[in-house]
Amino acid sequence: MVLETHRIRNTLHINMGPQHPSTHGVLRVELELDGEVVVSCKPIIGYLHTGIEKTFETMGYLQGLTLTDRMDYLNPMGNNLAYCLSIEKLFECEIPERAIVGRVLLAELTRINSHLVFVGTAGLDLGASSVFLYCLREREKLQDLFEWLSGQRMMTSHIRPGGLASDFEPEWLTACDAFLDEMPKRIDEYESLLTNNPLFKERMIGIGVLSAEDAIAYGVTGPMLRACGVAQDLRKTNPYLGYETYDFDAIVADGGDCYARYKVRVAELRETVKIAKQALKRLPGGPVKTSNRKVMPPPREELGTSMEAVIHHFKLFTEGIRPPAGEAYVPIESPRGELGFYIVSDGSGKPVRVHERAPTFANVQALPLMAEGGLVADLIAVIASIDPVMGEVDR
Amino acid sequence: MTVAPERLQASFPNAHHGVSADGIPYVLVRPENIAETARAARDELGYVRWVDLTAVDEPDVEPRFELQYLLYSMAERRWLRLKTQTDDKVPSVTGVFPGANWYEREVFDLFGVEFEGHPDLTRIMMPDDWQGHPLRRDYPIGGEAVDFTVTREILGTGGGNELRG
Repeated sequence: MVLETHRIRNTLHINMGPQHPSTHGVLRVELELDGEVVVSCKPIIGYLHTGIEKTFETMGYLQGLTLTDRMDYLNPMGNNLAYCLSIEKLFECEIPERAIVGRVLLAELTRINSHLVFVGTAGLDLGASSVFLYCLREREKLQDLFEWLSGQRMMTSHIRPGGLASDFEPEWLTACDAFLDEMPKRIDEYESLLTNNPLFKERMIGIGVLSAEDAIAYGVTGPMLRACGVAQDLRKTNPYLGYETYDFDAIVADGGDCYARYKVRVAELRETVKIAKQALKRLPGGPVKTSNRKVMPPPREELGTSMEAVIHHFKLFTEGIRPPAGEAYVPIESPRGELGFYIVSDGSGKPVRVHERAPTFANVQALPLMAEGGLVADLIAVIASIDPVMGEVDR
Repeated sequence: MTVAPERLQASFPNAHHGVSADGIPYVLVRPENIAETARAARDELGYVRWVDLTAVDEPDVEPRFELQYLLYSMAERRWLRLKTQTDDKVPSVTGVFPGANWYEREVFDLFGVEFEGHPDLTRIMMPDDWQGHPLRRDYPIGGEAVDFTVTREILGTGGGNELRG
């Protein structure tokens, strides 16, 4: 009692990161601690700033596509997709049905990819290291599929303005189907290790609570917002690529704590497998590239017979894609939330401005709301539950 | 995805309206009115969710910066873009949308637009002692020497290298 009344409030200032393994990259958090309690917490970003938005302005639109993979490197095809949708909006160009369904399939496969890393690293951060190995095992298979399809394991750039870079091979589709058949079993496996694990629950339940009002005012989106009980999923509310025709649920959980965020993502993993299966099943025949010659080059065989095709080919490869002047922002639901590219074109081959509305940027900003007043050990769980990718925060 | 234009017109009678190529309606207001406009959009029109803020720089146009605020209505499921043009400073909207905090810092850091009333207007991406604002169109690409020994020799940026003797 004496100690309590005469205690001098002595706080300790420490830096967590930018090289801390639990900060998922290079997030630095400036902490003020009173014993074990976080009094104030200030996330500091910029350690991975590479000026991607500036670099866009020096490149053609097609070259710029390769930069989008490197922003959210766990969701490369989602980024390709958002970038292409904005460009196609400026062109008002028609995309063949096979490419649209193929894009849904690829976007959902990358969502699986991203959520697998979340489940793995969240477990790892909280001491359940075996889950990480199991999740990465499945992710390896997925990356093998990506490599087979596009030649790249991570930076795929496979979704292009006007469609897809190349068609799916029948064997690839079979392999993809086999992978998706296996996934529900694997998800059960991860869940058996985490969901009812008393230690995991102890570290997650009631930790890092974020209210729905705060989340909305701070621009928090994706699984973090849905964990606050807000049914905001752009695939449902503002459908693109015909998501309204697929049978799936927008997962919502209550509580707004770390455990709710985990539950949303795991349940979403199952829904995502469902969507991908449906996309595989309904994949129609036909081309995967648009016939709009201002966006995609003509097929090789036309070059020998059509003068017009030669001209289109020449214009496209010397000047690049030239969207009509205007501005466009067409967001998608990425694994982390609302992701969109705001593109301003002046009609030339290089963009005036490309800005990425990165979901993690807003999500990390809300970190103090969740961490302050909690224990410093809980901060690890909170950061893990944000599932940050610093590549898209810093750009 | 279009908001009923008459509703926008009624709420912001003195502003310029339009619809961008992506179908999102926009309202162009004077810089000093941006905070009130954001508040009206939130309280009267229901655009409660903060989405985005960025700037476009056109050095030849007066004023050179166009700021783009993006809001979302959870009830009507649509976006609204607020635009304003300035050369140097605008009032901060952090009082209306706390989420604008980092976005305004980013625009301040990379474009040099000041936000009056911002609680902590410091650089966010670049180092604190950085000179200039990289996303301005007149900021050169490659103006900063990459500090490798090879580039030091080529660019003559000095600095002896002890290791190479």
